[in-house]
Amino acid sequence: MSAFLEVEGLAVSYGPIAAVEGVAFSIEKGEHLTLLGPSGCGKTTTLRAVAGLETPSSGRIVIDGATILDAVQGLSLPPEKRGLSMVFQSYAIWPHMSVFDNVGFAFRVRGMGRERARPAVERALALVDLAGFADRPASRLSGGQQQRVALARAIACDSKVMLLDEPLSNLDAQLRIAMRAELSDLRRRLGMTSVYVTHDQEEAFALSDRIAVMRGGRIEQLGTPSEIYCEPRTRFVAGFLGMKNILDAEIRPLSRESGYAEARLAGDIIFRARDPFASGSAPSPASIGFRPVDVRLETAGEGIAGVVARSLFLGDVAHYYVRSGPIEICAHDRPRPELSDGREVRWRVDPDRCLVLRE
Amino acid sequence: MALRGGFSTETAVGAGLGAVVTWLVILPLAAVAIGAATDTGGLSARPFLDVLGSGRIIANTVIVGVGATAIAVAVGGALALTLARIETPGRALLSRLVTVPLYITPLLTAIAWSWLGSPRGGLINLVCRRLLGIDSLVDLETGGGVVFVSALAYVPLPFLLISAALRSMDPSLEESARIHGGSTFQSLRLVTLPLMLPSIVGSALLVFVQAMGLFSVPAVLGMPSGFYVAGTEIYRSLNNFPPRLAQAAVWGLLLLAVTAGLTWLQTAFLRRNSYATVTGKAFRPRMLEIGWARHLLALFAIFYVAVAVVLPVATLLWAALVNFITVDLDLMAFGLKHFRYVLFEYPKTYLAMENSLVLGVATATLGCALGLALSWSIVRRPGRLSAYLDQVSMFPLAVPSMVLALGVLWVYVRAKALPIYGTISILLIAYLTHYLPIAVRAGSGALRQLHSELEDAARLTGASWGRTIRWITLPLTRPTLVATWSLLFILSVQEISSSILLYTSRTTVLSVAVFDLWEAGNVNALAALSVIQLAITFLALLALSLAGRREGVA
Repeated sequence: MSAFLEVEGLAVSYGPIAAVEGVAFSIEKGEHLTLLGPSGCGKTTTLRAVAGLETPSSGRIVIDGATILDAVQGLSLPPEKRGLSMVFQSYAIWPHMSVFDNVGFAFRVRGMGRERARPAVERALALVDLAGFADRPASRLSGGQQQRVALARAIACDSKVMLLDEPLSNLDAQLRIAMRAELSDLRRRLGMTSVYVTHDQEEAFALSDRIAVMRGGRIEQLGTPSEIYCEPRTRFVAGFLGMKNILDAEIRPLSRESGYAEARLAGDIIFRARDPFASGSAPSPASIGFRPVDVRLETAGEGIAGVVARSLFLGDVAHYYVRSGPIEICAHDRPRPELSDGREVRWRVDPDRCLVLRE
Repeated sequence: MALRGGFSTETAVGAGLGAVVTWLVILPLAAVAIGAATDTGGLSARPFLDVLGSGRIIANTVIVGVGATAIAVAVGGALALTLARIETPGRALLSRLVTVPLYITPLLTAIAWSWLGSPRGGLINLVCRRLLGIDSLVDLETGGGVVFVSALAYVPLPFLLISAALRSMDPSLEESARIHGGSTFQSLRLVTLPLMLPSIVGSALLVFVQAMGLFSVPAVLGMPSGFYVAGTEIYRSLNNFPPRLAQAAVWGLLLLAVTAGLTWLQTAFLRRNSYATVTGKAFRPRMLEIGWARHLLALFAIFYVAVAVVLPVATLLWAALVNFITVDLDLMAFGLKHFRYVLFEYPKTYLAMENSLVLGVATATLGCALGLALSWSIVRRPGRLSAYLDQVSMFPLAVPSMVLALGVLWVYVRAKALPIYGTISILLIAYLTHYLPIAVRAGSGALRQLHSELEDAARLTGASWGRTIRWITLPLTRPTLVATWSLLFILSVQEISSSILLYTSRTTVLSVAVFDLWEAGNVNALAALSVIQLAITFLALLALSLAGRREGVA
């Protein structure tokens, strides 16, 4: 199946500063891609460039076979001609209009009368649980309701691709979780194609078919949520997704077992680690990463010798910080009274759970 | 089918705006510079030497500029601190009254004070002579009088700018100075004053530019006693026969050099001394506790209102209603005959009023449209073009309006392609240019408040740029547009400095008609016409406040 939305070599710069550089991705019809990254990584700029709200210095964008941007040919369709819809971070609900006029704006622009637009507007409002709100003035809505109106407006106009720019970031924590579930349900029911921007990894995992992790204006890794979570390619992606233990290492590929490598850490600690992106030669500089839950702590036996430097009791779980020579790692375990501060321990990590990371 | 050029309408509009501001602002100023260097015969340095030889007038101009600025900023700043930060009795009403001189105008304030304070026939002297037997207590027809009255008229500008800055300063900055051991006075001096410096310097410059190029006050209070300044010199050079155009242009260029130079210095100063702590956000200012002294400060504010508002307006009203000027209570009788004369017999009234109203409506409407278009380009499409638009459209702030008018005159006296000299269009062009910064600043303020995503959302939902402006931007900026429209209307109806250079007998305007009556010495008719001008202004203000209430100005 060929791509429904295709972005190639996209670059946006503000004066000498490159905000986005060489960004490329493609999504299929009905697919949901999330651009994930910290603030300033270029994810919103990428989305706005797709929308036509930024002027890219290079790149090509094709939607459903129609080219909407081609910097080489100097072609750039204005936003209103791209057949998209968008949910903005600020919701951008027009305060001088009613809920109906906000949601039905696309029909008004097309010169369609209110009565002809009514069924579509009401259907969209019903989908976001705002049936009966049509005649309210938009300025009298709560934050959560404005969010729903923004969503209804984006649904109502039957766009090819829906763009969502951190739509949940202005909601309080509880509402955010509820809306996340609703949004996930809605996208499945409507079979919509969407590009979603967020800095929240949970949101990204819950709402995407694929995730593009961005950093410094580039896509660092693109894959399904489980790929991204289980096999982060770089130190940055691993760190951003909460892989707490990341240690500098010298990597030597193991010829006998392809996909595995030997990692030499500071203090001559030797590890075996998995390298899903092995290319034959050893990456350098490199590091290894593993999650605190994957560390196994024992009071005796095999493993690397260490001392419990401090521990943090959090109820169901306890965090143990273990020092082994020059390195310190964190392990999450059930609370174990015998592991008091200063206690000598042994720790190890299953090689399958320990990943080689690139810069 | 693909369409080339995403923002083509906007690009065209941007380029058009660039051409318009260049034409409005740069062209007349270039004309002044060229005009200053050419005598009737060709290139010549004589006008320069003539002007530089009149040291007395240069000194007078500087005295008026510096004196009026110093007093206006000191009084305006003190009033701002008093009314914004101190629990003075009646401060809500006083804050409004303190700004009223803006609407009375320097011309009418000067006329009223010339009747109050002229050495022989002045009302203060007449009353004193009758009651106390003292001869000639005050004489305002002097340099001191010009400085005093100009300062009175300009106090509202620093007051408005400094109180706005005081209100947008985070009170916790001052509170933390108090908590860390500073007294009230110390925290004002060490924290508040430095943070207010940009607004103090800014308002000082604004007043200075206007006071340096002031025409009305020195014309009324200075000319009778031979106290001339650059503004009156430009007027005299042009009303001479034959007109000494080059000399007027040299005066203009001189003023322009000083004011533009200072504006450049101010920009450099602000670059080093503006802090993000003074935000656009409005805070609830913390009141200063100063005990009984607040009553004294209230008296100070009341005294200013009495001198700058109540006395001048009362004098004008009295002179408009009294049969003839006298302080003899037995002879004093009141009636409407001067109004009758001005409205039904004086031939210029209707023409002037019609011209003023047409100009007011045209300036306000075109000014709002141009201001919104410019500020939209500046705020929404930052780039090299919008930086140019921003700088050029703000530049008239640094140009005394008389100098601008001189340039406009110079351009259109000879422009065969656009024969508008002698029509009200030439006045319209001068007004538009002069008030461009106000319109652009108001527009930018409103647009910065309006989240750009509100417009983006309309574009994404299928609306073209034009429709987005019409359906989203215009309705949401309407309160600002209404207020700006009224302000431009009022300012245009009052304008004298450029009108006095550009009017002809067919295109006379209200303020020029007032000035004519003053020159003719027709005191009572003049008072009646002044009262009519004031009435128009205050009706416009009333309409604005009613409209504001209905719109629920956001």
